[in-house]
Amino acid sequence: MMGYAWAVGATLSCTAAGLLMRGRFDLVNIAMVYLLGVVIVALRFSRGPAVATALLSVAAFDFVFVPPQGAFDVNDAQYLLTFAIMLAVGVIISRLTQHVRARERAQAKLEAQAETERVRSALLASISHDLRTPLAVMAGASSTLAERGEQMGAAERRALAQSLFAQAREMSEQVAKVLQMTRLESGAIALARDWDSLAEIAEAVLRRLRERLAGHRVIVELADDLPLVRVDASLIEQALGNLLENAAQHTPPDTLIRLRARPAGGEVVVSVEDFGPGLSDAELERVFAKFHRGATEGADSGMGLGLSICRAIVGLHGGRAWAEQLPGGGTAFRFSLPIEQAPDAPVEAAA
Amino acid sequence: MSAATILVVEDEPEIRRFLRSSLASEGYRVVESANARRGAIDAGTHKPDLAIVDLGLPDFDGKEVIRQIRAWSPMPIVVLSARAQESAKIQALDAGADDYITKPFGVGELLARVRVALRHLKRTDKGSSTLVLGTAKVDLEKRRATRDGADVHLTPIEFRLLGCLARHLGMVVTHRQLLSEVWGPSHAAHTHYLRIYLKQLRDKLEADPVRPKYLITETGVGYRLLSDDA
Repeated sequence: MMGYAWAVGATLSCTAAGLLMRGRFDLVNIAMVYLLGVVIVALRFSRGPAVATALLSVAAFDFVFVPPQGAFDVNDAQYLLTFAIMLAVGVIISRLTQHVRARERAQAKLEAQAETERVRSALLASISHDLRTPLAVMAGASSTLAERGEQMGAAERRALAQSLFAQAREMSEQVAKVLQMTRLESGAIALARDWDSLAEIAEAVLRRLRERLAGHRVIVELADDLPLVRVDASLIEQALGNLLENAAQHTPPDTLIRLRARPAGGEVVVSVEDFGPGLSDAELERVFAKFHRGATEGADSGMGLGLSICRAIVGLHGGRAWAEQLPGGGTAFRFSLPIEQAPDAPVEAAA
Repeated sequence: MSAATILVVEDEPEIRRFLRSSLASEGYRVVESANARRGAIDAGTHKPDLAIVDLGLPDFDGKEVIRQIRAWSPMPIVVLSARAQESAKIQALDAGADDYITKPFGVGELLARVRVALRHLKRTDKGSSTLVLGTAKVDLEKRRATRDGADVHLTPIEFRLLGCLARHLGMVVTHRQLLSEVWGPSHAAHTHYLRIYLKQLRDKLEADPVRPKYLITETGVGYRLLSDDA
């Protein structure tokens, strides 16, 4: 529809331009202006509008400019030729344009495939690193216990068994993250949304991550007027947990980590601020990319998925996730959740 | 205390193996069933004191075992669930399970759950109505509450909520259970009531309401009341 509107518009514009040129230029040059209109429409739209422009242009040209003016005179073989050329140019250009567009689409598809491929190989690299190392530790520790356990002291046996347990836990976390990312990507997650309190979500995540955060100083600042949010609580708990784990993992022990939540405009903004070494401007955006683990991070595990899972979860809830530098050094990882009108609170007569 | 008998309904032999050795090391007698059908039968013939039921059983749903046991016995039931099985977990609890533990779990965590559930069984016999929550004390029968020796005013609904949580002391109570018991079944979906009331209760009873020690949130599932005597 849009294309045909353009056909009419182009014809009218060319006629107007032609009227301005009349007297000073030959009719042939005015025909060229119409041809330009046909070319423009053909470039932007498909064949239909291009043909329509050619038709309308010839009609307008004939009616307005070719003597006798104000009447059609198709007997003049010259202008039939003009029409034929305009039609041919319109059709040829619209076909060329279609070819170019099809090629662009194919190119975009190829690039998307390449991106999927890149993510897949990054996934494999991540799995082989994040899972193989703990597996090697587990195989080593458990076979030592099974085959040499009797020759060892109780303390040594216990240390091996504990490292086995810790590695298994860590691995299970990594596997859960990979599965979660896959589910989020495939759109297979149906949100179980309900009214929830960010204070309770924060409380639960701090309890779950107590051991991981034990080496850092964590302070919690929740606004008094924090509204309830309608979210899938276990997903938001993961999103917030991933930010806290990330802060604990990438700052030295004893660094201050501040968990904050406050309403701002129509949203609640939840932040995890660390007073660690901070990130460069370029890294602020990159950290949310899948499997980004910072080339310089070496043996640090885990970074790859946590933040992109956070961003995907928050996105499903209609919010945003981003990182900012803090004025005094350090990084703030924040996400927002929309505030919705909460249902009526229960009324209880004062007893 | 005479050794309690624990029924383990779990299809994975390797998981049964470590459950058996850890439970036996605590002095419990262990009965094992490898599938749901067997589990429901063993519950009837062995009359265990507690059942541990895996939710991902091959023949039929773990929930079905819970329903069959609940039809005739109030024995505590602890379910084992995989992560990302949120809704299955809630359904199991609403079907009558008393608590859950998410795989992978450490044995310490499991034994703690089992102890709480067995103690619950004994407590319901004698019935205790005073809760000690740090410096706060709540007498559910006389409807009196104090914190640091000073009276604290709790509303009737707050007392009812605490009472409902206290009947399952140390164990999880789902949103649906709390809402149905305190406000009535027609309010079972009004989760926001709980958010508001639990905040009030924490503000009144917890020393640090932001990091509560007694009124614990189980994200997406419900709440758990802990106390110093449990």
